[in-house]
Amino acid sequence: MEMGMERWLLFASTLFALIAAAQGTITVYRGQRSRLTLAWMILVICLQSAFLTLRGELRQACPLADFGEVLAYLAWSLTLFYLLVGPTYRISLLGVFTAPVVVIFQAMALIPGVMDADPQAIAGTDPWGETHSATSVLSYGAFALAAIAGVMFLILDKQLKAHQLKSGLFKNLPPVRELIFSLTRLLWIGNLLLTIGIIAGMLMPKPDGLNSHVWAAIAVWLAYLVLLAVKMIRGMTGRQLSRIAVLLFILSLGVFALM
Amino acid sequence: MELVCLGLNHKTASIDVRERFAVGPNKLGEASSKLVNESGADEGLVISTCNRTEFYLAGENGKALITQLEAHLQEHIDSNDPQDHFYRKQGEDAARHICRVASGMDSMMLGETEIFGQVKQAYQAALGAGATKGVLNKLFQTAFRVGKKVRSETNIQTGSTSVASVAVELAEKIFGHLKNSRVIVIGAGQTSRQTAQALMSRGASTVFVTNRSFERANELADEMGGKAVKFDEWQSVLAGVDVVISATSSPHSVVMPFHVEAVRSVRKYRPLFFIDIAVPRDIDPAVGEIEEVYLYDIDTLEDLANEAREKRQLHLQECEAIIDAELNKQKLPGT
Repeated sequence: MEMGMERWLLFASTLFALIAAAQGTITVYRGQRSRLTLAWMILVICLQSAFLTLRGELRQACPLADFGEVLAYLAWSLTLFYLLVGPTYRISLLGVFTAPVVVIFQAMALIPGVMDADPQAIAGTDPWGETHSATSVLSYGAFALAAIAGVMFLILDKQLKAHQLKSGLFKNLPPVRELIFSLTRLLWIGNLLLTIGIIAGMLMPKPDGLNSHVWAAIAVWLAYLVLLAVKMIRGMTGRQLSRIAVLLFILSLGVFALM
Repeated sequence: MELVCLGLNHKTASIDVRERFAVGPNKLGEASSKLVNESGADEGLVISTCNRTEFYLAGENGKALITQLEAHLQEHIDSNDPQDHFYRKQGEDAARHICRVASGMDSMMLGETEIFGQVKQAYQAALGAGATKGVLNKLFQTAFRVGKKVRSETNIQTGSTSVASVAVELAEKIFGHLKNSRVIVIGAGQTSRQTAQALMSRGASTVFVTNRSFERANELADEMGGKAVKFDEWQSVLAGVDVVISATSSPHSVVMPFHVEAVRSVRKYRPLFFIDIAVPRDIDPAVGEIEEVYLYDIDTLEDLANEAREKRQLHLQECEAIIDAELNKQKLPGT
């Protein structure tokens, strides 16, 4: 089967994300800080953006018409949030943890049959529908990065508790408190974006009532809102917050099954 | 022209001997001038820190200079003490020695950086007093260059080598910067004081001190700019602190899990770092099982510090190679 130009771009971006993950892992294993991850990830987002642009031109709409496009858009959103949050708040290793997740999402998108080989233009696009899809998937990027920060916290917490302080990973992981702050901040950003997505979803023309995936998105939104409210009002340990953030993200991916 | 060094340090002399030869930082220039005048040397320089006093001389006859200097130092030597606490180095040995000193390789805490500043201060004082010329100027410039090179090209100064610095490093791994962090010290011992001071020097905002003797708690609190808390009231402070340092001489645990459980919800389950420096331990090990608590006892902290010290030892050969290369390149006068 012949690959279109846009699929080559996605393939190249996946390859660079893989290089970022491998090079980052090796550097961390040696006890050093990976300085190239950021550069690799900038390259990754450039290629992802080129892929989405070409795909959008073919669709003549926001490229979220099949599961492969959703996965690619989710990977783009995750990379974008990493580039906004990681270097700004100096959260070392966030890129090294993000890159493999980008590889997984994009590799799934590249599996033959997951993405339309011959994407057709979408007739009669609705701006509310486009806003709903774009902001909702964007919010999943923030939730994905929050889950990644959660995994990083759980690893660091385990090492600190067990007094296992010799690994390169321990030395390079950001402090506990910064991980909790970043995780919470990302959950708020994700929830805010999902709020916009849901409002846009409600404003979409809906001859048969709300779609099942909009209902699912509302359930996800509510779950994250409860988590944030409990964290803010009652408080919770970093471990509980991280575990729930990881679990909720995995469960919330089920929304895409309803598309 | 010959270069010589006569000195004593923590390896050759106990503190009561060292303090007899100590020179205050403000008198180093004067002491260097006096050294030149009394020994008949062309150049002289005195280095004095809490761990060492060393005299560097340059003149025509090295052995005679040392003999002359020893005669002047006799008045400080206890006639009942049969032990010779001094080391004597000449030519290249003396040059190598000052390079090792400036690089922290001869320090009690291998690789420490404070000595570099102390040697620089001594050199500037001697230079200002007109006690140094061509030989010592070139020697000390080389020593400073070597010191910088050793620190930048090897890992001689990496890792925390004391209980206090290990505790600070761990606190930073938990809280990031320590600005606005609050500390409580339970028991006013020497190590707890050092640890609290190290945390304060890294930005901890408030320190509470509690001790069975409230007077002692007050003293330590005053010394550190903190607040004293009565011993039966320390639990009320627990809700607002991030770090607990405990070092009482109590035979039983002072901090029990119920103390922490009682404040968890008020703290909103924020991380809490316990440093137990006491033997027997002050903090019940079960406290460490509480999710947001990180508990480290003295053995663990000592192990980490020892490990860092051992790692520094491994880098000594690299440092010696840098010194050899620099000394071969420079061909210093008097060596």
